[in-house]
Amino acid sequence: MIKITINGKNYKVKEGLTILEASKQVGIEIPHFCYHPALESEGSCRMCLVEIKGVPKLQLACSTPIKDGMEIETENERVIEARKAVLEFLLAGHPLDCPICDKAGECKLQDYYYKFGLFEDRFEEEKPKRDKLFRIAPNLIYDQERCILCTRCVRFLREITKTGELGVLNRGKESLISIYEQELIENNYSGNLADICPVGAITDIDFRFKIRTWFLERKKSICPICSRGCNINIHFLSPSFPFKVEKRVFRITPEPNVKINGYWICNLGRYNYHYIDNDRILHPLKRNGELKQISWEEFYEDIGNKIKILIRRKKEEKIGVIVNLSLTNEEYETLEIFFNKCIPGTEIITFGKKSGKEDNFLLTEDRNANRKGAGKYRFKEKKIDILKFLNKKELVIFFGHEITEHCNIQLLSEALKDIKTKVLIASNKGPLINLVDYILPSTVIAEKEGSFTNSQGITQKFYRVLEPLGESRPEIEILTSLAQKSGIWRNFLMTRRAG
Amino acid sequence: MIKSLVFLLEFLKGLWITAKHFWINIFFNFLKLIGFNIRDRGSVTIQYPEEKKEIARRHRSLHRILTREDGSPRCVACMLCMTVCPSECIYIEAEEDPNPEIQKRPSKFIIDLSRCCFCGFCVEACPEDALRMDTNIVELGEYNREKLIYDLNRLVRISK
Ligand code: SF4
Ligand code: SF4
Ligand code: SF4
Ligand code: SF4
Ligand code: FES
Repeated sequence: MIKITINGKNYKVKEGLTILEASKQVGIEIPHFCYHPALESEGSCRMCLVEIKGVPKLQLACSTPIKDGMEIETENERVIEARKAVLEFLLAGHPLDCPICDKAGECKLQDYYYKFGLFEDRFEEEKPKRDKLFRIAPNLIYDQERCILCTRCVRFLREITKTGELGVLNRGKESLISIYEQELIENNYSGNLADICPVGAITDIDFRFKIRTWFLERKKSICPICSRGCNINIHFLSPSFPFKVEKRVFRITPEPNVKINGYWICNLGRYNYHYIDNDRILHPLKRNGELKQISWEEFYEDIGNKIKILIRRKKEEKIGVIVNLSLTNEEYETLEIFFNKCIPGTEIITFGKKSGKEDNFLLTEDRNANRKGAGKYRFKEKKIDILKFLNKKELVIFFGHEITEHCNIQLLSEALKDIKTKVLIASNKGPLINLVDYILPSTVIAEKEGSFTNSQGITQKFYRVLEPLGESRPEIEILTSLAQKSGIWRNFLMTRRAG
Repeated sequence: MIKSLVFLLEFLKGLWITAKHFWINIFFNFLKLIGFNIRDRGSVTIQYPEEKKEIARRHRSLHRILTREDGSPRCVACMLCMTVCPSECIYIEAEEDPNPEIQKRPSKFIIDLSRCCFCGFCVEACPEDALRMDTNIVELGEYNREKLIYDLNRLVRISK
């Protein structure tokens, strides 16, 4: 611990920090463009200038380490004047096309101009014309005019993904960021570039022109696409938005968590959000010849009665439950109480999504959000003969469509024909829709509350971000209501309390 | 007694005002009838719709969307008008413009005049001078609400 003075106040901070980091720790923001906590500092934007007592020139806060007894001024006239000058230089060649720039609203250049700039443009020269639609990746467009050459993007690709696709070409005012020849950035983390670019120079094609940022709200959640459990921010249309729009979620960005995902997420998690709004099951449906909408109550009565009768006839083994690996820990606990403890004898099997390729960084092989959590409640994926399992069952309940990834759908539909009652609880439409008699809408992760245990064994809680679409309900609620109608309610409550 | 005298006085005053307007109107309208061009004096009633009041230069009337030289709308779908509108009556969706100099254009632009309060904020917010309320069209009555929803084509057409 060493003592420093910032703006006349004394603080004690850890040794080895830079001035910018130390001030951030004590709650003083020093404006910056090129500094990023996860990247080596470069000192190219000059926005972070501060005054240090005894040093004649202003110094860079992002690359000057603190020393014992250092007296730092971050808000005095000289510093503010310097910031103004830096901004004026940065804006000298900047197109100021905020009206068509997706970054507007969350752009550092805009924010700092309002805070420190507010000068009249003194340049009479024409602004340089450059390529505004330069493709640097299949998902990214680079606008040469807007770039302030902070090199965050270059450093990200060198230090984090270690692929180094971007570099700075030319010198002086001709400098620009470019890929080498025609080689587009193809790595699985390229989407992060649009986030770390402090201005609108790199924009994401997926988000481009879809909406202005100030209409969006963001809330924290967890990415359910693989078992890493990256922390994410879901950007959704603010409920106060006055017009009816079908789409709710517009983009996913990383939420920093040093223990798990650092400051990044992979492209798979970033662009895989359309399932939240599209292809959802909206109402409970029952097949009676054709699919008809029913109420939740009707479903609870129907299936609750079936379970009750099977228990009375001591035919518990005729109930089959097929669980997936993307439920929350709380839901696994409820499943365990419901079927294993209250109706012992029920047969339960577990199927997850098929594994994919891992990429040696964040993305894991396992594409199920909560395999670890399921394992704790003994829901483990095993190789078993599905047809044999389905044989002689009277009631099967599917959680999700995952089973279809593990067997021939033709054979499955044959096997299901002999089963009297087939129930599907899933958030989205899928191959099982045509094979079952009851289809119940469950909520997606973004509409749920609960916890996941990731592949490292870290259990993370997450909260509801969006309201459930249509009549969908979280699995935990469905199971609890079903327990009330299945004649096991007392037992269920007691076990739950005891557990 | 004095009280009723005051009333009488007020009563006569009233009669006098009515009579004055009557005779002045008769006089000026007679002059108009025989061909004199008199605009402001005389009858206080404007004979709408045959006669219309002159609209002040800064009056805010029906919106229009201005066009570039090639006829395309100047609007770049920045949605600032939509953001500022207090009546929440502007709705815009954006799309990519094939011209890289322009990049962004509206694919949908709707002003719902049945909600508009003619505050003119949208005009002030527009960074492209794409929206103006200078058409001098003030007779906007319609028999159903749908007709009060102006889309891009309609707003551009007013400009031409
Ligand atoms: S980068 Fe920022 S300042 Fe530049 S046009 Fe975009 S929003 Fe405006
Ligand atoms: S593209 Fe963005 S991140 Fe890269 S140097 Fe330019 S401003 Fe910085
Ligand atoms: S005049 Fe006012 S109320 Fe009408 S569209 Fe413009 S901003 Fe909205
Ligand atoms: S403010 Fe102007 S340019 Fe922006 S969306 Fe409205 S009309 Fe178009
Ligand atoms: S943040 Fe220090 S020079 Fe850019």
